[in-house]
Amino acid sequence: MKKRGKGIACMVYPIGFTSYPNPSAAFVQVNQDGSAVVLTGATDVGQGSTTALAQIAAEELGIAYDAVTMVTSDTQRTPFDLGSVASRVTYITGNAVKRAAGDAKKTLLQVAAEMLDVMSPDELEAGDGKIYVKNSPDRNVSVAAVAREATLVKGRPPIGEGSYNPTTTFLDPETGHGKPYEAYVFATQIAEVEVDTETGQVDVLKIAAAHDCGKAINPLLVEGQIEGGVAMGLGYGLMEEMVLENGVVKNPQFTDYILPTALDMPLIETAIVEVPVSTGPFGAKGVGEPSLIPTAPAIVNAIYDAIGIRIYDLPATPSKILAALKEKERANILKEEE
Amino acid sequence: MTHVIGQRIPRHDAILQVTGKAEYGIDLARRGMLHAKVLRSALPHAKLLKLDTTRARNLPGVAAVITAADVPNNRFGFTHLDQPLLAEDKVRYRGDAIAAIAADSLKTAEEALRLIDVEYEPLPGIFDPVQAMEPDAPKIHGESNIASHIKIRYGDIELGWSRSDEIVEDTLTTQMIEHASIEPHAALAEVDGRGMVTVHSSVQRPFLIATDLSKILKIPLNRIRVVVTAVGGGFGGKNEITMEPYICLLALKTGKPVKLVYTREEEFQATTVRHPYIVKYKSGVKKDGTLVARQARIVSDAGAYVSWGESTLSKACIHGAGPYRIPNVKIDGYLVYTNNSIGGAMRGFGVPQLGFAHEVHTDHIAEKLGIDPLEFRLKNALVDGSSLPTGQVLESVPLKETMRQAVQLIGWKKEVAWDEKAR
Amino acid sequence: MIERQIELRVNGQSFTILVKPQDLLVDVLRDQLGFTGTKKGCGTGECGACTILLDGKPVNSCLMPALRARNKDIITIEGLGTPEHLHPLQQAFIENAAVQCGFCAPGMLLSAKALLDANSHPTETEIRQAISGNLCRCTGYAKIVQAVKAAAQAMTQGDGNP
Ligand code: FES
Ligand code: FES
Repeated sequence: MKKRGKGIACMVYPIGFTSYPNPSAAFVQVNQDGSAVVLTGATDVGQGSTTALAQIAAEELGIAYDAVTMVTSDTQRTPFDLGSVASRVTYITGNAVKRAAGDAKKTLLQVAAEMLDVMSPDELEAGDGKIYVKNSPDRNVSVAAVAREATLVKGRPPIGEGSYNPTTTFLDPETGHGKPYEAYVFATQIAEVEVDTETGQVDVLKIAAAHDCGKAINPLLVEGQIEGGVAMGLGYGLMEEMVLENGVVKNPQFTDYILPTALDMPLIETAIVEVPVSTGPFGAKGVGEPSLIPTAPAIVNAIYDAIGIRIYDLPATPSKILAALKEKERANILKEEE
Repeated sequence: MTHVIGQRIPRHDAILQVTGKAEYGIDLARRGMLHAKVLRSALPHAKLLKLDTTRARNLPGVAAVITAADVPNNRFGFTHLDQPLLAEDKVRYRGDAIAAIAADSLKTAEEALRLIDVEYEPLPGIFDPVQAMEPDAPKIHGESNIASHIKIRYGDIELGWSRSDEIVEDTLTTQMIEHASIEPHAALAEVDGRGMVTVHSSVQRPFLIATDLSKILKIPLNRIRVVVTAVGGGFGGKNEITMEPYICLLALKTGKPVKLVYTREEEFQATTVRHPYIVKYKSGVKKDGTLVARQARIVSDAGAYVSWGESTLSKACIHGAGPYRIPNVKIDGYLVYTNNSIGGAMRGFGVPQLGFAHEVHTDHIAEKLGIDPLEFRLKNALVDGSSLPTGQVLESVPLKETMRQAVQLIGWKKEVAWDEKAR
Repeated sequence: MIERQIELRVNGQSFTILVKPQDLLVDVLRDQLGFTGTKKGCGTGECGACTILLDGKPVNSCLMPALRARNKDIITIEGLGTPEHLHPLQQAFIENAAVQCGFCAPGMLLSAKALLDANSHPTETEIRQAISGNLCRCTGYAKIVQAVKAAAQAMTQGDGNP
């Protein structure tokens, strides 16, 4: 018989390293044609951070995304970055890039103030490739013209530097009290499953994943992070397991170590919950790791809802489910006999 | 003004990826480069009695063989400096490296591996972290197998029990898994005429690789350059040095570029994994569904070396109460050495293990009280201004909003009332 | 071991090379001919990163001796399209963010091409089946499936050039 059920799971997860300083730094140069180069030590391992960081630089400088070129992850060509770990790049490197771009922009605004004949750079703003007077945007000059003027006339190339390190403290070794992180994200996932009581097979029909990420710098890539995390969480919940015997891995190939395929993955509905935080670049936090955390428990709770079997050890394989169903049946018979 | 923030922009390098032009670690090649291979321990726990590389060295085509004696500083680690790059007197798991070889072809390197003579004296192995905590268990490092104990204390747990109407206990376990990036670890090292060592590697943290290489090779940082290639997936598995020291030493020894790519089998046997956890939860609740106390005891199987085990466990403990307001919390985490694969960093860093445990436990409590699991969560969920068991007060907590939006996407079993806060 | 001289036809171009009987097509393509767009993730026929098209059919090149590819048409990712002339599938993969780390993309794209060549209006299930031999650890496949659908649509509407 096939039975359906729904399960829910929630989580809290921090951004950045636990307690230890984990800074990122960035350099920015605005070229004479209004394009820019950003140097950062952060590494894009597939999550799309380089693209998001370019968006942050472009927004801060008021230029187009395509006008930004990223130079990344080279220990002799780019400034220090702690690395692509701990869901920290958008938040921490993002802040560093924003600060570096802001630093370069300071020069641009100072030079533009003279060009536009305003009293103070504070009256100016950058956007759409221009620097304009805040309350009369028609008075403007292109970023390219300002960068050229700054570099070749004033002799002050518009360059900037920035770094960011979240404010944290170490934990008291006896009580565990302290402030190990600066920002946290939250999420809820709901799984809908169908369990075959003859085979113990679990078919995940749908996953809803709602993730708080502060502000999505790039919703397309955030969705990708959530969907990919759900797949990893589904593998963790239902199929993946390294089997060791006396320290020897008995399944060291994808032949016996089963990863989810396209056929195992259900429809994933994502919701990006945006509540910007003041400490993040344009309000952003992060999303990389959290996306996988609620998936396995949501599925396991859905299995319980479907067949009344609670799995206490991962993964929830068909054989474990069948064994538990048999056990339950036996217990029921015993109860009836009593 | 148009905004770049919030736009759905495809990856900057997608055009290279879809046309096969992105250069990954496995794609690296140099004229005249050598191919490296690593010899791993044949036993999970043993003394090394003899290590003779003569026959391997003499095989035509072999350019260099290195062992522990060739590593200037043969120790690494993050919180515990307990791991040798190449085994010295002892091996502690099947992934322990004993020697590395560079040869003119992969075939020759593989053949040479078989010509290294190693004599072991087997030691009793310990593979169960709970057994490993027993005082008379065989020791893997020093005096005790408990590498660290992490504590969180919040409120008064005894008071919490006394105020509870119902107490629910569960033991939950999670398995060992692999990162399984589709690209295996791969790197190439080259040394130029000035002695500048450049490593191209498919990693997540080039600056950590560089500083660790500097310490291990005893070469200043300005003479080491780590450049990251396109990375075919990381997930925490490419978080630290793996092969880089071997290929640097081999390149320094031979003056030639050296490349190393792990096989899928090595990925499974010799690189880090997600720690298996055993979590015992005990929670106290009032009849109305208010959580008043939670205790957790976590045992993490570190494997043979600590690696990121302590930091992983500490993140797990900090989040051990789950996303709920609980006034009395007591959490103890134990990191235990075994002769199993080394637990390292993996996406979620201890929290997926705990997340599974507390969320299944939470459903169990709700069931005992006869309350809907969603309503039970809503009642206890962290909100703006709540504290974690670390005492840290949280500012922006849209947790209930994520519940509401998840329900909006695919529905829930019953209608629930959403309070103002959840909007 | 005896080396034999054979001719391989890759992306419409002929190459005369020396191979040993045990040389695998994936290694010959990558190491001898420089078609490094073909990836290798396992070497045991499980991950699909090494997928190429052999006479239009998707094949794991890590399981195939190079000798067996003689007199057949081999298409690698380099033959699907170039940055200047993208195949609609490549275009759709970019636009739909179907690539994250991108390591699975070459194999995934070629499996998808074989599908669309045989079936211009695949259902979602048919798409999932066609790429089920290609493992992706990053995307959860959602955007890949979406991209294949989008490409199929673009190609049948004629604004693509298969
Ligand atoms: S490399 Fe051929 S299937 Fe994995
Ligand atoms: S995008 Fe990384 S494996 Fe598919």
